[in-house]
Parts: sequence; C-alpha cells; structure tokens
Amino acid sequence: MSTALAKLTTIDRRWIFLLIGLGTLIPILIPIGFPVTITPPVQSIYDKIETLGENDVVVLSYDYGPTTAAENEPMADAIIRHCFLRKVKVVALALYPLGGLTAVNGSVTRVSAEFPGLQYGVDYVNLGYKDGGQASMKLLAEDFSKAFPGDTNGTPLSTLPLMQKVTGARNAQLAVSIATGVIGEWWANLINAQYGLPVAVGCTAVSAPKYYAYLEAGQMLGLIGGLKGASEYEQLLLNGYPQTKTIYSNPMLQTASKGMDVQTIDHLIIIGFIVLGNIAYFAGRRAKQA
Amino acid sequence: MFLRLRLPLLLTLLAGLIPIIAFFFKDDATFIKKPNSWLEQDMVIVSGFALLLGVVNVVQSNVRKIERREKGWLFAAVLLFGMFFMGIFGAAGAMRLGGLPGIGNYPNGTPTPFAWGSVYMFTPLQSTMFALLAFYIASAAFRAFRVRNLEATILLVAAVFVMLGRIPVGEGAFGSVTEWMMQVPNGAAQRGIIIGAALGAASLSLRVILGIERSYLGLEKSE
Repeated sequence: MSTALAKLTTIDRRWIFLLIGLGTLIPILIPIGFPVTITPPVQSIYDKIETLGENDVVVLSYDYGPTTAAENEPMADAIIRHCFLRKVKVVALALYPLGGLTAVNGSVTRVSAEFPGLQYGVDYVNLGYKDGGQASMKLLAEDFSKAFPGDTNGTPLSTLPLMQKVTGARNAQLAVSIATGVIGEWWANLINAQYGLPVAVGCTAVSAPKYYAYLEAGQMLGLIGGLKGASEYEQLLLNGYPQTKTIYSNPMLQTASKGMDVQTIDHLIIIGFIVLGNIAYFAGRRAKQA
Repeated sequence: MFLRLRLPLLLTLLAGLIPIIAFFFKDDATFIKKPNSWLEQDMVIVSGFALLLGVVNVVQSNVRKIERREKGWLFAAVLLFGMFFMGIFGAAGAMRLGGLPGIGNYPNGTPTPFAWGSVYMFTPLQSTMFALLAFYIASAAFRAFRVRNLEATILLVAAVFVMLGRIPVGEGAFGSVTEWMMQVPNGAAQRGIIIGAALGAASLSLRVILGIERSYLGLEKSE
C-alpha cells in the first residue's frame, strides 16, 4: 500500500496540467456563481467613492498590462463604472510601459459607452501613457500639463474643460492605481505621503501582501487584492446600483465574479494535489523504513 | 579632471540636493521650486534616453545572434521584427505621419497598425505567457510543498490557509485567519523589508550625492 502511494510522487505532470485545464475551462463554460463576502479594505474604497459627487475628481491610473489584465481589468472597469454612476469626474492615465496605454484606452472606451450622457472632456478625460515613472508621477501631481501636454488623442489639455478645473492630481479627491508591480507603491509613498491625497490601490493577488504594509500604516485608504477583491467590488456595485445587473449579466463580459469560479476550482485542485503529494511523501518514507 | 570628475560630481550634488530641499518649501518658494520642476521634467527626458539605450542593446545582442546563426536565431529575428514594427508605427502614429490618426483606431473604428499589433499580437501573447503559470504553479506546489521540517510546514499551512481564505467555499472558515495573517505577520515582515530597503537606498543615494560613491563615473582607480 505504502509503495503504491509512494509512486504518486512520480506522477506525470501532464495529469496535473489536464486537471488544471479542465478546472479552468469548465467553470468558464458553465458558471457556478459562488457567493462573495466583502472585506473591509475593498469596502473602504467603495465607501470613499460613495462620498464623492459630480464636483469631485478621481485620478484613475492604469498601471498594468495584458499579463495581469485578467485580474486588473475587472477592478479598473468597476472603479470607473462606479465613478460614472455617481457622475464623479475621472482623469484616466497610464504609467505602465508594457501595455498600459492599451489598458486605459480599452477600459475608458468600454465603460464610457455604457454612459452615453457623459461628455468627453467635461466628465472624463483620457490622458494616455507617459514614460518616466516616478518623475512623471511627481510632475502630474503638481500639474497634469507638465507631464501630459495633450490627452491620448493629442488634444491640448488647455482646451478640455475638466482639465481647467483640476490642474494637478493633488487637486483631486482620490487617486486609484490599478497596478501590477511597484507603481501602486509609488502612488502611496509619493502622492499620498507628499501631497496628502487619499490613495487606493487595486493589485494582483501575488503583490497584495506587500501593500498591506501601506494599508496598515494609513498610507492607502483601501486595497482591492486580486480577483477576489475585484469580485467584491462588483458585488458592492450590484448591491448599491441594481441597474448594473444588466451589465454584469452580459455573458460576453469578462467579470471577476466569473473568474472567481475558476479560481475556486483551481485552488481546490492545487490543495488536493498538495495533500496528495504529502501522503505520497510520507508513504515513501514509510516504505523506505520498512 | 574638471570635466571628467568635478563637473559630474557638482551636477550630481545639485540634482540630488535640489529635490530634497524643495520638499521642505511651499509652492511660493520659486527660487527652489522652479529648478526642482525643471529637474523633474528633465528626468522624464533622461528616462526616454534610457529606453533608447535598451533598444540599442537589444539590437546589438540580437543582430550578433542572427549573424552567427546561434541557437534560436530565428526567435531573435522575430523579436527584432516585432520591435521595429511596433516602434516605427508607434512613433509614426504619435507624430501623426503618413495619415495615421495616432496609435489608436481610425475614426471608422479600424485599428492602426500599432493598435492592431498591440491588441491582436502583444496582448494575447503576454496573456498566454502569464496564464501558463497556473499550470506550472500547480505542478510545482505538488512537488515542493512537503512537511519536511518546521519552516516548510509553516509555509505550507500558511499557503493552504490563504488559498482557502481567498475563495468563497473557504472564506467562511479561513477568511478572518487569512486577513489576520495578511495584516499582522505579513504586514510586520513587509514593513521591515520596505523600511530596510528604503534605508539602504537613502544611504546609497547620500553616498552618490556627496561624491563618496563614484563608480558610476567610470573612472580608472588612479583618477
């Protein structure tokens, strides 16, 4: 018996790949719809935006690329959708070189199409991408036009009514960075620490642990961690704005709630393999001793 | 000696000190805020040149690979083609050359060459590369997460708790434990790492600003 179990350690890894593949594919084709529980770091971002109105401005920075879009895109869409629902003005931009521009253009175009009453330049502006990392961030905090002379289409900022109202990010009421990697940290330790602007970050699950240090220190008002956090934000929107049900029930829309079905099944498969691996490990040790 | 040593050291001292001093002054202190703003704008331009340096490096190493027909030279050729295709159409779009309306779509919704390459080539390729991780992580977890000793057991238990606490079927039982693990032990460790790294960066920066660390000048030992 022990020898048979010990043989499991040499299992062909293609079986693992097959199970993970099925665990990913089946919930995509047949959504399960697991319930979502809201955690405080996500709730606090939602609550902050709920306090804002049509005279307030949110700076939304798309600091991610296609590699993490599956996690970051639903949270970016949910945040900008929430702002548009409350008629909060949005200044969207990107600081991530590997696909940040595609992310900001895609999200702004996609979500603004749901709100035909909103006017570009008055209710929202897409500044596009700027290279330069922290230097660009410092510049746009002081004055957007120093970092972005024009918006993503090259329109001078001086001709856009919203940009007359908010000259720099420090004049906004909230900055949200949807980030992969280190850029979200810069928003906390440059923009929050130096200008006092409330900062929230939406990040991938793998980088969430490091952001807890900033969250606990009060340098960030909230955190959307990975697909789980994004699904929580979607649930908050569904609870607070029932009209979003038509958006989130669209079978073609990639949502975090659907992604959570995949994550749940895959996590269970991985845990199952870890347990199986340890049973095989101990069976092997027992067989050797015998 | 002045051009190779003293001038760079003086420039470094000024470029390092001005932003630090400017931090302690309000906006109306134009004597320091203005040069500081100029330096910040300059830094964006310098970072653009760093990008150019990267391009030169990629071209040099890959052209050499193709010339020598080294293993994988075909991939190097594809890499160079991709880089120049996106680079040329990206720059031409940004400068509105050749009737390009930018780097997004044409007014009728048709993508420009840059947008096409970005949406239909770059995005799916990057997504695929990252998605493959799920398979390898599952395989690695099966082989590596073993109750071998105390440290490995703690790591395994923490990993399982977080994985269960982050999914709907497990968050009822493990959600609060996971949140506590993230906030307390993880928060403490992360804070230590961040503060340690920041102190290291600050001390190295001071050495550079004060001219103690000079290796970036590329001088000989005798100079």
